[in-house]
Amino acid sequence: MVGPGFRDDHILLIAPGSRSTLAQLGLPESFTPARLRFPTRMFPGLEEGQYLPNKVHELKEGEEMMLRNGELMVAGPNGKPVKRRKADSTSKTAKADGAVKSADAKGDTTMADAADDHEENEEEGNDEDEEMNGTKEEGGTKLFYEDDFDEEGAIWCMEQGRIVNWEAFFALLLHIHESLNPTFHTPILMISQPCWTCKDKERICQFIFEKLKTPGFGMMDAAAAINAAYNVQHSLVIDVGYEKTDITTLIDWNIQEVNRTTIPFGGHSMNQHLHKLLPDLTEEEIDQLKRSNICEILPPGVPIPGEEDADRETVLRPPEPTTIGMGGLTQPKALDDEGNEEEDEGVTNIAAIVASGKTQEYLAKKEKEKADKKAGLAAGEKRLPNYKRETNSFLFVEKVQDAVAENEKTDHSGEALDSERMDVDVAPITTDDPQPAGEASAADGANGPPPAPSEGGPEAAKTDPDGLKVAPDAEGAKPGPSLMESMFSGTKEDDDAKRAQEKALRREEKKRQEAAQSGERRREIEVGTERFKAAEGGILEAIADAAHRVVSSADNYNMRSECWNSVIIAGNGCRVKGFKDALLNTIVSKYQVSPSSGTIFTSELPSNIPTPSGTGTNTPQPSTFSSQQPNALLLQAAANNAALAAAGQHHLSIPQPNQGPSSIKIAKIPEYFPEWKDYGFEECMFLGAQLGAKIYFVTDQGANKGFVSRADYNSLGPQAIHNI
Amino acid sequence: MASTPQMSGVLPPTTKPAELEYGGDEVSALVLDPGTGTTRCGFAGEDTPKTCVPTYYGIIPDPEEQKYFGKLKIGENPINSVVDGMEIRNPMHEGIVENWEVATEIWRHCIEYRLSSRIEEHPLLVTEPIWNPLKKREKTTEIVFEDFNAPAYFLVKSAVCESFANSKPSALVVDMGHAYTSVTPIIDGLPLRKGSERTPLAGQHLTNQLRHQFTELGIRMAPWLTLKGKTPYTDLATAPALRTKDFGFQPHQSFLDLQQDRFIHEFKECVSETWPEAKTFPADINNLPDNFRGIADKAFEFPDGYQRRFGVDRFLAPESLFNPSVSPKALTGDLPKGIAEMIKDSIDHLDADIRANMLNNIVVVGGTSLLYRINERLNHELMTMFPGPRVKIHSPGQIPERKYSAWLGGSILASCGAFHQLWISKQEYDEVGANIIERRAK
Repeated sequence: MVGPGFRDDHILLIAPGSRSTLAQLGLPESFTPARLRFPTRMFPGLEEGQYLPNKVHELKEGEEMMLRNGELMVAGPNGKPVKRRKADSTSKTAKADGAVKSADAKGDTTMADAADDHEENEEEGNDEDEEMNGTKEEGGTKLFYEDDFDEEGAIWCMEQGRIVNWEAFFALLLHIHESLNPTFHTPILMISQPCWTCKDKERICQFIFEKLKTPGFGMMDAAAAINAAYNVQHSLVIDVGYEKTDITTLIDWNIQEVNRTTIPFGGHSMNQHLHKLLPDLTEEEIDQLKRSNICEILPPGVPIPGEEDADRETVLRPPEPTTIGMGGLTQPKALDDEGNEEEDEGVTNIAAIVASGKTQEYLAKKEKEKADKKAGLAAGEKRLPNYKRETNSFLFVEKVQDAVAENEKTDHSGEALDSERMDVDVAPITTDDPQPAGEASAADGANGPPPAPSEGGPEAAKTDPDGLKVAPDAEGAKPGPSLMESMFSGTKEDDDAKRAQEKALRREEKKRQEAAQSGERRREIEVGTERFKAAEGGILEAIADAAHRVVSSADNYNMRSECWNSVIIAGNGCRVKGFKDALLNTIVSKYQVSPSSGTIFTSELPSNIPTPSGTGTNTPQPSTFSSQQPNALLLQAAANNAALAAAGQHHLSIPQPNQGPSSIKIAKIPEYFPEWKDYGFEECMFLGAQLGAKIYFVTDQGANKGFVSRADYNSLGPQAIHNI
Repeated sequence: MASTPQMSGVLPPTTKPAELEYGGDEVSALVLDPGTGTTRCGFAGEDTPKTCVPTYYGIIPDPEEQKYFGKLKIGENPINSVVDGMEIRNPMHEGIVENWEVATEIWRHCIEYRLSSRIEEHPLLVTEPIWNPLKKREKTTEIVFEDFNAPAYFLVKSAVCESFANSKPSALVVDMGHAYTSVTPIIDGLPLRKGSERTPLAGQHLTNQLRHQFTELGIRMAPWLTLKGKTPYTDLATAPALRTKDFGFQPHQSFLDLQQDRFIHEFKECVSETWPEAKTFPADINNLPDNFRGIADKAFEFPDGYQRRFGVDRFLAPESLFNPSVSPKALTGDLPKGIAEMIKDSIDHLDADIRANMLNNIVVVGGTSLLYRINERLNHELMTMFPGPRVKIHSPGQIPERKYSAWLGGSILASCGAFHQLWISKQEYDEVGANIIERRAK
């Protein structure tokens, strides 16, 4: 049954996650980050049991609906959508590049197709796209309007990795399959979440074979995939997700099922914590703050600006969260005042500028302004790296449907518009006159880190993924090492002066950013030192403790230290700047056995001195032994051998381990994947999936039962999935 | 006699063959091995259980709550999180279930956590200790059929499973677990009640002894979760201040104990050692004879950073398993017999003609048997006690096989073809009631 040889470009990879599901058809020559990213949600369809990838509003003739940008949409006769601006009532038929489809209402298939087309558009274009790309369909006299932005009523299929709504999940799989439209020779490899039960896997296997009619289906555990990407034999995989973190040890490439665990902490826990600290911001704002450049977790020893570092005695130990408290040291009042002002006025109507065709001029102007400002404040606040500033701001990008652009679109070809749009979005890189760095960092914040699925995902489909992501930021904080270096050389700033300067700055900016009621709204939001406290809600401790539990319960004593020596921290939850280092620090400072305790060699030595007394006064110092080491070690080795020989036959004793871990190291990131280097290895599970698919489907061709073939499925049923 | 599965597959005449509708090949059977320390569960036919959940559970007492009088926290992660007012309890008492409501929930969690969300689809094999009374066996049956709605079920003595796991139809099974160390003679797959012994000298006993020992030494046993970090030091007299976390409440003592158990467990693994010979352990470890030499010190670091080298004192707690009178913490009530003594008792109870067979087939399993050199000690003691016949100890060389021996045996049993006719089906239960277990599996 299995056609000999699946082709590289025929393999479909799907990696479902709680927020977004990654997918890709075909293995490229050099493995890339996932091409497509679908939000892991569906919307209830028009009929019971039917699901659609986008929210659909149903309008009867004459009914009106208020769109988010204050536009009115009226269902005209024959189900034609009529759009009306609220201000000027010039009604216009929206004709955004093929968004209107006067399909003959073939029921749900057409609907789904249209939706798919659209979805792909969205994926391929930038998510920031503000075009009104709702798909409209005529169904009798009803108007169906697809609303990308409305997430109300969305059914998120997975929670903490578990599939909570199977119907929706399957609809999503179907939707992904249809949008990629693979051939009949396409085998599928799916990344399975560690918390899926065996039954869950059977269910998915059944669906894949019976509905998608694939010739081969394989499942790869997320931890195994991450491990495969790093190509290490033993590892401790910490996969920080949205609402959960999976912790798994792998020994000899094998997952240790019994002791793996999933804890309910993840990227979202950081949002929640930030929200507690900054109750004035909306969830969306918090999310963007977390993903912005200014949110970072400071290395140990670096004080949070304006706060006393209570725990500074030892540089190796991270400052403890509880000593810093719940933001009592920042100025919530100032934030209140200014934050609100910003919300109202700090808005630039980028789209309007684009539409007016004056993009270049605008950018030039801005650049000049910025340059002036910089010159004026050469030694000032703005120059300081993030970690030294008590407050810093990020650009909040709000998605609002853009009527102006929509209207103008009839004049431009879609492509031209798109490219211009892109120019604005990624101005610092793609245009010849770069935008000020402040903008860049914000654009980076919005576009770069992809944890939120529905918006701001970097598009791998774009030829230049780093174009979106990497915006070297003169003002933003420098990377870790340089930060450490410069940390002590920095001069202390006068806080008041700083604040005054900033106020002046802000006023200027306000002036500059005027007008505009619609469009992709960007506004600066200033936050205080709360931005350094994202991980202080206990997430680091919880992960560290769980990791220690997991490794300590590994049954193979000798491999525990091996696992500690190649810790892999992956998952989008750990994209927050400094998170990985902070986590490693937490683990090291709490659980690593200090080298001075001499558990490695000295403990093996026969002691010639009296046993320590109860008070510990006779406790020998390790140094006592140094002169005896070689001999004693030989003795010990000989004794061990003798004991083994004696016990060997009946396995009487299992050798005793040493207390561990005595060293903890992060696994080396793989080097051969240039595409991933810039993208970051947080989603390296997808890299592992590609490697796995290559081996299972192409190299191995099922010789080692790397996947379930159609024939296997026919003879064994869904349970065949457990044989791989 | 009992109709426990035999390798021959011959059914006793009193038993009618069950309908063969639950062939384990179509729907995989589950094997549940509930213990006091952990509850293990997995699919029949596999070599290790898929889940191993602590049987300890957390409860936030709330008299308003009707069923459990509090909010339950079940599973590895919940009981290891600091929660205000959470107490840690255990539904087991003397190795058998006491609190059925909670035990049911733990079993359910153990199965649904990673195995199957449809508990009602799988035949279920449950293990039980040999001293499980009839009432409890009936209750187990009731829970499996009423609460879990299992299609088929069987109850097997864990000692039988352990002998099967070591491919021995006849053996003297020594199971050193968390709460109890038990000795059970198995003849041709049948456990003998006569000759079965148990003693609380097991993992929990060790933990308590060590806890006491550390307290006596003046060690601050702050567990990891209550600390912000550690400061290495070696002298208790000049100990730096503890860097404790402020939770805004005081975690319950039972929670702190459970957390302490974590590093005590590590101590057991890495530092504790069994004195390899019988009756030569120094009577007073603080006044060692001059000729006493050659004990390797082992260092241990406590979570607060205290480092200490342990010499002879690291043998003390394991020694108390064999010689309870040396226990650092005096035992209350009658002094139990040491493990070797207990094995001797068990052998003495047996008919003379099977003693040699038993002595030649001693199977030692259970997590506590992983204590360094405990089998050498056992071997030495038994050789001294029975100089005539050949004493032979069998113990799996792999750690999982020791820890999960009972589960593994259950997994082998439930997946072997002859076992299928032994399943008690839901239909039979409906006809006969919970007493079916006594008829079908004594």
